[in-house]
Amino acid sequence: MKGFAVFARKEATEIVRTWRIWVLPGMLLFFALTGPAMARFTPEIVGAAAGDQLAALMKAMPVPTYLDAYAQWAKNLTQIALFAIIIIYGGLVSGERKTGTAVLVLTKPVSRSAFVVAKAVVHSLFLALTVVVGTLVTWGGTRVVFGKAPGASLWLSAMAWLAFGVLFIAIMTLLSSLMSSQAGAAGIGLGVFALMSIAALWEPLARYSPVGLTGAPMTLAAGKESAILWPVITSLALASALVALAAWAFRTKEL
Amino acid sequence: MSAAIETRRLSKVYGTKRALDHVDLRVEEGSIFGFLGPNGAGKTTTLRILTGLARPTKGTVRVLGHDVATADNAVRAEIGFLPDVPGFYEWMTAEEFLRFAGGLFGIGHKVLDDRVAVLLDLAGLTDVITRIGGYSRGMKQRLGVAQALINAPRLLMLDEPTSALDPMGRKEVLDMLQSLRGRTTVFFSTHILSDVERICDTVAILDQGRVVVQAPIEELKARYGAGKVVVEVGEGADGLAEAIRAEAWATNVERDANGTIEITVTDAAAASREIPALVASRALPLLRMEAGEMGLEEVFVQLVGGGRQ
Repeated sequence: MKGFAVFARKEATEIVRTWRIWVLPGMLLFFALTGPAMARFTPEIVGAAAGDQLAALMKAMPVPTYLDAYAQWAKNLTQIALFAIIIIYGGLVSGERKTGTAVLVLTKPVSRSAFVVAKAVVHSLFLALTVVVGTLVTWGGTRVVFGKAPGASLWLSAMAWLAFGVLFIAIMTLLSSLMSSQAGAAGIGLGVFALMSIAALWEPLARYSPVGLTGAPMTLAAGKESAILWPVITSLALASALVALAAWAFRTKEL
Repeated sequence: MSAAIETRRLSKVYGTKRALDHVDLRVEEGSIFGFLGPNGAGKTTTLRILTGLARPTKGTVRVLGHDVATADNAVRAEIGFLPDVPGFYEWMTAEEFLRFAGGLFGIGHKVLDDRVAVLLDLAGLTDVITRIGGYSRGMKQRLGVAQALINAPRLLMLDEPTSALDPMGRKEVLDMLQSLRGRTTVFFSTHILSDVERICDTVAILDQGRVVVQAPIEELKARYGAGKVVVEVGEGADGLAEAIRAEAWATNVERDANGTIEITVTDAAAASREIPALVASRALPLLRMEAGEMGLEEVFVQLVGGGRQ
């Protein structure tokens, strides 16, 4: 894969020098900073706003714990962050074809496989870094707000979701290699997520395949057990296979 | 002399449209080769195949001795390419882009430092520190030529490098290309005839996916210039022009202010016999009679335009 290192460095620099550095990290950092406080004070805020009308209901609600902050973080990852990934990476490969930059790069001694794989690898690492920083901030914020923050359930939940996020970067790499429309690729990506969420209802499939990761981060964040070994292993294996397929598909395309 | 580019019976079909139809091209190493043709003739398709961006439907393509279908990096390491609308990473500066391009060729730091400095100077971008996103079309085109030269290519291929430029921008890019004469083979497509006349030594004309003609420019002009005769008489030019216009072998007769008549002929032998006779029958003083030279534009119109009418 000639040219991999140079092109990967370009991808990394592009993240830092363009809008990419603000959107996903900005969104996740905002959720990380506000999540613990929201989890702690939302019942009080709702109670104050509702006055006497909801007093009985508010009394019946359990006192918020650090697990509510973790659940908030897991919910934001599994929903908003995943949708953001699908939309942002709908044009990961096709965007370079559209702007003509792929032509200038690929008429130099760079293999098309290196072009595709470098994008998938760099953006997966970028996602990992973003999730780790966001989880650290959530962890610290939870400790400050709730006084205690055992790390195991939070980190297990975040890492399980990270495997799922990496799988979706691979899915979007493939879709954007096959299609020229960013919106079209994003639409199919959302469709894939919806299908996986439905498939997760079948327990044997959820236990041994990536679809188990649609709900596992929430379960883990709530402090409960969830068997994630096979879903994580199969997600990462499938992600590798999808990136290889994307590289093959891109090699066969005319530019 | 060896061929930098050689295509044999190259064809490309998109659905039902035949973009290229049995194209045979031979570009000698060291030449500045103009690939002429009207819009939609198949020039960009040819260049996309030559650079490996597209695949031929039929035929063979050899670039610098390599079969493009199988050579991959071996060819790309030795060529420079500028597409018709170059797409740059707009967040980079010109220097950053040249360093990135050089890195893709695996050029060492010291050599790259020297080349970047020379090419920025050649492109007139040495002191420009703004990002490429803020460049004019001319600046981008000059940077495009510079990035195509970063590996000191044996073959430089450019697709319509001057088509969207103003006269000053065109002059700058053409000067850049002309300065490469003798150092590298230059193959560029265009529909601007004056650009070809100005810097090319050989030309191929493509029309509707077929190569209509390929020859050195001077040979081409001389070959088609044989159909033109210039006559100059001391007096009575108007009457003589009228008489010539009535002849079957004269397809076009033009008079200029000082007694010169320019005649496009279909039968040069008949014209060379009968024009002196017409002059003698009117007892006019014949000052000059010679074969005229056709401009490339007239050759182009004759070869390509005729079929459109």
